[in-house]
Amino acid sequence: MRTFQLAWRNIWRNRRRTLVTVGAMTIALVCTTLYGAMVQGYLATLERDALDAEMGVAQVFAPGYQERPSIYAVIPDADALVARLDAAGMTACARLLGGGLVAAGESSAGAQFRGIDVQRDAAVLVVSRGVVDGAWLDEADPAGVVLGRRLAHTLGVKPGDELVLLSQATDGSIANQLATVRGVLASVGEATDRAGVFLTARAFREFFALEQGAHQVIVKRPDVVDLPALEARITAAAPGQQVLTWRRLMPTVATMIDSVRGLVAFMFFIVNVAIAIVILNAMLMAVFERIREFGILKALGVGPLEVLRLIYAESLFQVVIALGASLVLETPLLVLLSARGLDMSSLAGVSAVGITMASRWYAVVGVSTFTGPAAMMFFVVAAAVLYPAAKAAVIDPVEAMRHA
Amino acid sequence: MRTGVVAVLLLCTAGARAQDVTVEELMRAQDDALRGASSTGTMTMRVKTARWERSLTMQSWSEGTEKTLVRILAPAKEKGTATLKVEGNIWNYLPKVDRTIKVPGSMMGGSWMGSHFTNDDLVREARYSEDFTCAFVEKPDGKTRDHWVIDCTPRPNAPVVWGRVRLAIRAVDKLADRIDYLDEKGARVRTLVFSEFTTLGGRKLARMMRMVPADKPDEFTEVHQDDLAFDVKLPADTFTLQALKK
Repeated sequence: MRTFQLAWRNIWRNRRRTLVTVGAMTIALVCTTLYGAMVQGYLATLERDALDAEMGVAQVFAPGYQERPSIYAVIPDADALVARLDAAGMTACARLLGGGLVAAGESSAGAQFRGIDVQRDAAVLVVSRGVVDGAWLDEADPAGVVLGRRLAHTLGVKPGDELVLLSQATDGSIANQLATVRGVLASVGEATDRAGVFLTARAFREFFALEQGAHQVIVKRPDVVDLPALEARITAAAPGQQVLTWRRLMPTVATMIDSVRGLVAFMFFIVNVAIAIVILNAMLMAVFERIREFGILKALGVGPLEVLRLIYAESLFQVVIALGASLVLETPLLVLLSARGLDMSSLAGVSAVGITMASRWYAVVGVSTFTGPAAMMFFVVAAAVLYPAAKAAVIDPVEAMRHA
Repeated sequence: MRTGVVAVLLLCTAGARAQDVTVEELMRAQDDALRGASSTGTMTMRVKTARWERSLTMQSWSEGTEKTLVRILAPAKEKGTATLKVEGNIWNYLPKVDRTIKVPGSMMGGSWMGSHFTNDDLVREARYSEDFTCAFVEKPDGKTRDHWVIDCTPRPNAPVVWGRVRLAIRAVDKLADRIDYLDEKGARVRTLVFSEFTTLGGRKLARMMRMVPADKPDEFTEVHQDDLAFDVKLPADTFTLQALKK
């Protein structure tokens, strides 16, 4: 018996039923593929937004800095460390951190000063692109500083306004300096929004009378993150220093991302189960409707295994047609969603557990975007057909032909 | 009821002694030591930390405990830097940039002029007799003990950051010579020790004050009162932002 030829003919004998079945499969495939791509996009954005602004994938500190931040707790050879990390294929930047006070006119507020290497920092983090008002730091303008959003609001300043910076220098003297607001950042994260004052590394060193070292080295998030391996490589490059991955630095965010991931996986499972039930129903009906036809086949001497094979071949053809149709339908949508994204601006700037929502939600498309739902479909159909096909295969011909 | 009886009994037995002073009286004396008095003087503040050591000479003006003006006279680099405290607010004047900064609430726990004193220490108006519940731990017995040791626990809602404050008050002149500041768990956070008791500006007081943080026993801030005059006539504009800049 030429199973495939027969199966191909069979599926077109009742066009309407085949179209309904294939249609259900196509819709299911399009839905799960789009849903999967959006979920991937959401998870990627979640992690990227949490890391790329100012966190990086891991950070290096002098021992004890985390427990008790101090202007004196520096990594002495921070530049050499950055060079070693570069040599090991990672991109990193060093930052200088210090606390103090910033004032404008009558108002004043606590400040976290961050001295940065303007070029290097921009290669590692995206905070420099977050200026909403004014401009980012410029080495040529050492008196220019960039403020966090809420800090600028608290002080009531805008670009061009004068600030007084106040702290204690490393020699114990009172550090005080006039500065000009160069830019104000968009919402980046709780700490930066509230107290972040960015200045050039040179201005920071002069202000705090700090000649050597840096407090923090930030390693850029690579495209593919293998955290334990990365941690080992950074630790090898930074002997004697404390290496902390972003998961250790932001445990609440890490837990949140993990729980969102778990929730999304569960939702994905539910959606797939719902779709599987629909497909199962369609396949059951398609086989049971034809039970008399299978009785005739059996009466003509077709063996049970061949009936089984025939039904599976028909199902295979239908899945393949549905796959083709779904590809045609979903490709333009995927292109649109990954290039343009969904407008989430009504939620943009909303900050939760230290990370800020992005304004657009993009789909992320990979090989698994397609293979996942396709594999799911093959599995569901195979499982759904098993029972009716087995029943048709073993049915008594007389019984089957009498079947109403 | 039973504690009441015990308290009465204790009072009766104590009543016969020479050191017949109640906690309330002692604490009121501490509160009133500088109250209402105007003063002016110079002092030297020596700060030693693990990293550096520096000394500042300052002139101060005060009116009671509510208003204080302190101006740095030396070293030259910081000359003219001044702090004005008026009713719970602190302003710093910075001559280098010629600006006055009001210290925000969030920075009140920060160091004052790089010392081991906080801005809060300057501002806190807590009074032992009103904001604390105080009780004797030890009393002088005329033999080996020559101090009152008193534990003061802040009342609910009192403007106090400590869990408990323990004072040692000399029996000789009712002046405190040691104050321990403890946190909520009862661990010592820092200790203020007074020494060089003398008569200055007509009043008996401690000339030297030394603050030692408990977690860094090698560090300290010493304030030595070089000279001091009480009940001086201060110009009406002494405690203003204009005067701060002078």
